[in-house]
Amino acid sequence: MSAVRFSRLGAVATLILGGSALMLVAQPASAIPPFARQTGLACEACHTVPPELTAFGRRFKLSGYTLTTRPPLVNDIDDHKRNTMWLTDLPGVAILAQIGYDHYNRAPPDAGQPYPAQGQSDSFQFPDQFSLVYAGAVSDRVGAWLQLTYNQVAGGVGIDNIDIRYSDHTSDNKWVWGVTANNFPTFQDVWNGFGSYTIPNFNTVTLWSGGVAGAGTTGPIINALGPGNVAGIGAYVFYDDSLYFELSAYHSAVSGTGGTPVVDSTNLGVNGGAVDRFAPYARIAYERDWGYHSAEIGVSAMYINWIPSVGYISAQQQLAATAAATAGTPYTPAQTFNSGVINRYTDLSVDWQYQYNGQHNIYGFLGHVAHERQQNSPQLVAATFTGASSPIYTNPTDTLTQFLATAEYFRDRRYGGLISFTRTTGTYDPLANGGNGSPANQYEVYELDYLPWLNFRFILQYNAYQVVANNQSPFNLNHATFPNSPGFPNIKASNNNTWVFGLWMDF
Amino acid sequence: MKKLTSYSLTVAAIALVTIGVRDVHSATLVVPPDPSTLNAKALVSAACSKCHGVNGVSISPLFPILAAQLPGYIEAELKLFRIRGRSDPRARAFMWGISRGLTDEQIKGVAQYFSSQPPVKGSGSSNPALADKGKLMYENGAPERDIEACTVCHGHSGEGVNTQPRLAGQHRDYVVTEMWQYRSGLRENKVMQHVTEKMTDDEIAAVVDYVSTL
Repeated sequence: MSAVRFSRLGAVATLILGGSALMLVAQPASAIPPFARQTGLACEACHTVPPELTAFGRRFKLSGYTLTTRPPLVNDIDDHKRNTMWLTDLPGVAILAQIGYDHYNRAPPDAGQPYPAQGQSDSFQFPDQFSLVYAGAVSDRVGAWLQLTYNQVAGGVGIDNIDIRYSDHTSDNKWVWGVTANNFPTFQDVWNGFGSYTIPNFNTVTLWSGGVAGAGTTGPIINALGPGNVAGIGAYVFYDDSLYFELSAYHSAVSGTGGTPVVDSTNLGVNGGAVDRFAPYARIAYERDWGYHSAEIGVSAMYINWIPSVGYISAQQQLAATAAATAGTPYTPAQTFNSGVINRYTDLSVDWQYQYNGQHNIYGFLGHVAHERQQNSPQLVAATFTGASSPIYTNPTDTLTQFLATAEYFRDRRYGGLISFTRTTGTYDPLANGGNGSPANQYEVYELDYLPWLNFRFILQYNAYQVVANNQSPFNLNHATFPNSPGFPNIKASNNNTWVFGLWMDF
Repeated sequence: MKKLTSYSLTVAAIALVTIGVRDVHSATLVVPPDPSTLNAKALVSAACSKCHGVNGVSISPLFPILAAQLPGYIEAELKLFRIRGRSDPRARAFMWGISRGLTDEQIKGVAQYFSSQPPVKGSGSSNPALADKGKLMYENGAPERDIEACTVCHGHSGEGVNTQPRLAGQHRDYVVTEMWQYRSGLRENKVMQHVTEKMTDDEIAAVVDYVSTL
C-alpha cells in the first residue's frame, strides 16, 4: 500500500557525479513519463506545457523528484529501523525524441565552393535528438535525472543533462532545502526565464552566416557550460514557497575526449576552453502565487575563470611536450593550467516569469536581461604569450548584454503558440568577433504548437533574424569558411530566416 | 500413508500461518520510506499541501479549499478517487494518482486533519443584486421546476451536511467549474446533475455569487 513518501530531517548526502564524455549542444527535454508513473499525476500537475513548470512542478523538482505514490519493492532496514535500501518496483526510464525539419530562407554556402550548397536549403534531423532518461526517486530523499543523448548535429552519443538531488523539508513545509550535483549551470533551476530551460525551448536552427553552429548567436558564456564541460555541486533553500537561495560551484569536467582524462590542449579545443578551478554560481529568486497567477523575479550571478583554447594553450603544450621530449622525461599535462592566460567572466542576470495557469487558458510572459563582463587576459590582448603570432582580443574588457522576452498562450494545453524576441549587444572587439567587432544580433521566434497528447507535440516555428553580427559589411563573419564568396554578394540577416517543423515526443 | 499426509498438511498449515504472521508483522513496521505507515500530517506535508496548502487553504482555484471541510465529504471523495469512481478531468489528473495507495486509516486521518483547520471567509460579492437573487435560489430552490433548495444538503450558511460538502469560503471559480461539470456530466453526481441541468446560466451565476459571500 502506498501514498506518498515523507522526507524527515536527516543527514546531507554526499553525491559524487561521475563520468562525462561528449559535449552535446542539447536542448533539455521534459514532460517526463517516469515522473507521471512514479506520482500517478498527469503532466499538467507539473507543467503548464512541457517543459515549463507549474508551481507544483517547481516544488516537485526542489523536493528532489522524490514524491511517489508507488509502493517500494525493496525496502530494507537495519536493526535500528534505519532505511538501508529503497527501490521502486518500476525504474523510471523514458525515451525522449525530437525530430526537426529546417528550411532556410536561402541555401547556406558550400564551404568549399563559391556557390550555394546545392539542394541544401533544408535539413531533416531524424532524429534531431534521441535521449534515454532515468528520472525519479533513487531513495526516499534522493532523486535523479540522468540523460544519455544521441545528437545528430554533434554526431554521437554522450552524457547529457544530469541532476542528482538530495532534498528534505520541515513538516510544515516552510523550509525546503537540498543539495544538487549537476553538469549544467541553471539545469537545476525551476523557473523558465533564464538558463537551460529558457522558453522557447525547441530550436534546431543553425545560424549559418554567423559561422556559429547550434546555438545560432552569441550569448553569455554560461550557455556554453553544458554537459561534458563542467560538473558542480550546490546547496539550496526554498523558504515559505517563495524565497529561493542557491550557492553552487562548478569545476571543469572536460574529460574523455582526446584519450586523456585531463584538461589538455585537445580537450580544450573540443569545448573552446575550460573552467579554471571552481566557478561560483549564486541564485536568488522570489516567487509569489495568487489565484491562478504565479510571478517570479530573480537574479543569478556566476564568476568564471576561463582558460581559453586559443593560441597560447596549444603553443604552451607543444613547447612543454618538446622540452620534455628533449630532456627525455615523460610529459604529463597538468590538470589545471596556471599560466595566467585566463579570461575572467562575470555574469549577472535578472530573470522574470509571470504565469497564468487557468481552467482553460494558460499564458505567460518571461525572459531575462543578462549582462556579461569579460576581462581578457592581458597576454591575449598584447600577444605577449609564448608562441604568439597575433593578439586574440582587441579590448582588455568586453561586455555583452542579452535581452530576451517571450509571450506565450495555450488553450486547454492543446493549441498554442509563442512569440519570443532576443537582442544581444556588446562592445566592439574586431579580433574576437571579426568584421567591425560587434557581436550584436537580434531575432524573433514565432511558434505554433499543437499537442494531440501532452507528450506528443507538433511545433511549427519561424525564426526571423533582423541583425546578425551587426549587419556589417562584409557580412559573413566566418571568413575562413566562406571568404566573401562571390556566390553570396548580398548576404543579409534575413538569409538566415528559417522555418522549423518539429515533433517532440516522450514516452 | 494417510497419517503421513495429515502430518504433512499440519506442517504446511503451520508454515503458512507463520509466514502470514511474519508478513503482517513486517507490514506494520514504522519505517519512514514506507508510505503506508505515514500519518496524516506527514501525508499532508509531503503531498496534499503542494496543491491544497498546509492548512487546507489552496492558492489556486484549480484546487478546492479543504480547511474546515466536513470529514465525511473528504473521506467519501478520497475513497471515490481511489477506486476511480470520480472521473472529472482534475480528478483523473491529480487525485487518481495521489489516492491510489491510501489506506482507509490514512484517508480518515487526512479528512480529520483538514476538517480541523480554521475556516476561511468567502471572497464576497461585488454585485449585491445578483447575490440577493442567488440567495433566494439557494434558500428556496425552484419547486415549480423541481429544483431543490441548496440548504437541504449544504446548510443555511453553506456549512455542509454529513457527506455533502461545505461551500462556505470556497474559491468562487472552483464552485463555478464544479457546477458546470455537474451539468455536463463530467463530474458524476445524480443529485447535482439533476439540479444543475434545470438551472439557467443566470441562476447558476447568481447562486455562485451568493455562495461566495458565505
